[in-house]
Amino acid sequence: MKPSSTATGTIIGLTLVFLIGPFIVIILAALTAGNNLAFPPDGLSLKWFIKVFTVESFRISFLISMFLAVFGTLTALIVGVPAAYAIARYDIPGAGAIQLAVSSPLIVPGIIVGLALLRYLVIPTGFTIMAALFLAHAALILPYAVRVVTSSLQNLRVDVEEAALILGCSRLGSFFRVVFPNIRGGILAAFILGFVTSFNQVPVSLFLSGPGVRTLPIDMLAYMETTYDPSVAALACLLAIMSVGIVFLAERFLGFSRYV
Amino acid sequence: MSDFVSVDKLTLAYGDAVAVPELSFGIGKGELIALLGPSGCGKTTTMRAIAGLMTPKSGTIRIDGRDVTRLAPSLREVGLVFQSYALFPHLTVFENVAFGLKMRKAPNIRERVMAGLDSVGLRDFANRLTPDLSGGQQQRVSLARSLVVEPKVLLLDEPLSNLDARLRLEMQMVLKDIQKTTGVTMIFVTHDQSEALALADRIVLMKDGRIVQSGLAEEMYSAPRSRFAADFFGFENILPGRDGGLLAWRPTAIRLGDGPHEGTIRGMSFGGDYRTYVIDSTLGEIKGSVRAGLPAFGEGEKVRFDLPEGEAVRLEAA
Amino acid sequence: MFENKNTGLLLVLPAAVFASVLFLLPVGILLSEAFTGSEGGFSLGAYVEFFSSELNNTVFWRSLRLGLWVMLTSAVIGYAAAFSIVQLSPKSRGRVFALIILPLMISPVARTYAWLVILGRTGLVNQVIVGLGLSEEGLQLLFTETAVFIGLLQLFLPLMIIALISSMENMPRDVVPAARVLGANWFSVFFRVILPLTREGLVVGGTLVFAGSMTAYITPAILGGSKVLMLETLLYQRVTVANDYAAASVIAMILVVMSIVTNLLLKRLAKPRNRRA
Repeated sequence: MKPSSTATGTIIGLTLVFLIGPFIVIILAALTAGNNLAFPPDGLSLKWFIKVFTVESFRISFLISMFLAVFGTLTALIVGVPAAYAIARYDIPGAGAIQLAVSSPLIVPGIIVGLALLRYLVIPTGFTIMAALFLAHAALILPYAVRVVTSSLQNLRVDVEEAALILGCSRLGSFFRVVFPNIRGGILAAFILGFVTSFNQVPVSLFLSGPGVRTLPIDMLAYMETTYDPSVAALACLLAIMSVGIVFLAERFLGFSRYV
Repeated sequence: MSDFVSVDKLTLAYGDAVAVPELSFGIGKGELIALLGPSGCGKTTTMRAIAGLMTPKSGTIRIDGRDVTRLAPSLREVGLVFQSYALFPHLTVFENVAFGLKMRKAPNIRERVMAGLDSVGLRDFANRLTPDLSGGQQQRVSLARSLVVEPKVLLLDEPLSNLDARLRLEMQMVLKDIQKTTGVTMIFVTHDQSEALALADRIVLMKDGRIVQSGLAEEMYSAPRSRFAADFFGFENILPGRDGGLLAWRPTAIRLGDGPHEGTIRGMSFGGDYRTYVIDSTLGEIKGSVRAGLPAFGEGEKVRFDLPEGEAVRLEAA
Repeated sequence: MFENKNTGLLLVLPAAVFASVLFLLPVGILLSEAFTGSEGGFSLGAYVEFFSSELNNTVFWRSLRLGLWVMLTSAVIGYAAAFSIVQLSPKSRGRVFALIILPLMISPVARTYAWLVILGRTGLVNQVIVGLGLSEEGLQLLFTETAVFIGLLQLFLPLMIIALISSMENMPRDVVPAARVLGANWFSVFFRVILPLTREGLVVGGTLVFAGSMTAYITPAILGGSKVLMLETLLYQRVTVANDYAAASVIAMILVVMSIVTNLLLKRLAKPRNRRA
């Protein structure tokens, strides 16, 4: 009494073509030997992939995005791990309001945050755009970091920490000797999730861009407006491969999806 | 008082909810005592306060003459074997046992850990990760981990309740043996009167954060003083006596087949040596046991019985 | 649980302050701007003015309409896909599931850019249309609502499928075969059995898709351009082209209200779901 497997197979196939197909199109389009974005490609070559690396603005914005993703995530973890620990282990007064504040970056649309920071932080105080971008990305990643680390802490029994205290550890000592080694996987998963989120982020960074300071996705959007060549396609492929690679490795060695 | 561990007017609370009000008791050096009571009676809370995992509202706790009431758990020289064992999942058996010694920067760690593992029969498991061990083995690692640091007091949370009958007996022997060889003072928490009777020198029976009765195990078993204590130690028949006081009988103290009272058998449970009958009578529900070898009664059968006053325990209060 | 509440508060406070100062405070000021009249004091003038513009109205209703369409379409496709996927053996189910969530990890810019190649004047679709002789020189597909719709659908469909799969996995086993044995046709199986049992997943997925579509920036920016503005692209345009912060603040308020309503709905509905490997 099951639905026919031909029918379900067709439905799954069509769905996957719709979801994944465009990536295959863009990969082939980026491999074109011609000068126009076209499908099917006009001969095959890697020239657009090579061209990407010669565009200076891409190189700069790639480094900026990399910097934001790595250090923004690290900052979010430094602020977020203690918060996650408090949420998992303490009965905090006003927990509802605090949780709401911590998760506000998930609720407030990023574009508005970018605009507000530009208008009320960067312009009046002379704060640099780069610093504002950094803080905004760190705050954006914070709720992800807190969520992943909290759930990883909830899987570690409290009495394991109590045992360490009784055996002679200080509170801080028990965190580093007992808690940390057991939530390392969760922290790494939080790092990866934060990295990918920050790196792909557009709305927050939209208004926070200035001369020479742009994240890579914003730079790609700007490039598209003026130039219609396959280099953005090539770059899009590279980014897709990077994200997929990171997630694949994380899943392979960490069971990433357990944490997300 | 010359008690080795003394608890004086200890009040423990979760927020505003008082779990234990003004509790006082003392324990002699080398004694093995049980904190016994139903869940929620405050026995685990009391144990956690002795370990330093809970800060009392008021009162004092002394160990070996030293006031430890507000001392960090690490400085109290106590050991605690958790009900869940609480082994460090990222460390091997050896590293688990060595943990406390390392914290104390003790000398000869390797020898002491191996000796500790020897004493619980786990020498060959030194390099295994703890999640791979059986529950019984994990408990022994936990025991060794607590003992190698030579604590003054060893606390155990429901040490037998997760074990099957055979392992239970084995662990009983191990604990008695430890008491004998190390002379460590032990306090264990349990809700099971048979565990308490089997293991403890002395039993402290608790209810609602208060001590109902405390005394030697045999004394508690044979002479409960209150209805609660009697009920807890298996005096299932509690009836008002002629003088208005309360009398309590174990099922085995009831004589069936003959006597001044009559009732109807409603059910029977077979317990090996005994058959225990539930009898409906004008006195209420009576439970009486008969040696398994004797002829059995059938359900619905009328039976005469006697409540011999000489076998009854007189209770002080309701 | 540890006792000392102050330690807990001390640990969580930096995070709460960090997020509030960076996200809540500036946004609060921005939102309050729309309520301030030209001579100070409380005023709803910005809102009146915003909705008196035909363009703004068009954009507002278009965002709402596209959000609803994407939500409905993804529900229809989502049910078919999710139901088909849960019929698979656990092993191939895991593989297909991985392929469904794969796009979520990829830069939305990259994901949307692909549609330029497919929907462009000389793109894949137009080549087929011209090849079949349906049109001389191809159709204008880009910078239409259809293009934005397709882009959004591809972006958000995985969320709907994931939500539906997880609630289908929580359906009691064998209810569908049981209904079939009792004589129900597929139509009534869906409306009488599957739909009521997966309503929660549908609402969770639907809310995510609707809110995501309505507040999208990248897809309308790339596939809609200035011809098919949506709320966020309009906001960007009002600020960068016209320096019109009053309008920006009104749009911001719409977006924030949307987002809060969505989150409240989700919080109420999303009981702890069992996460799948």
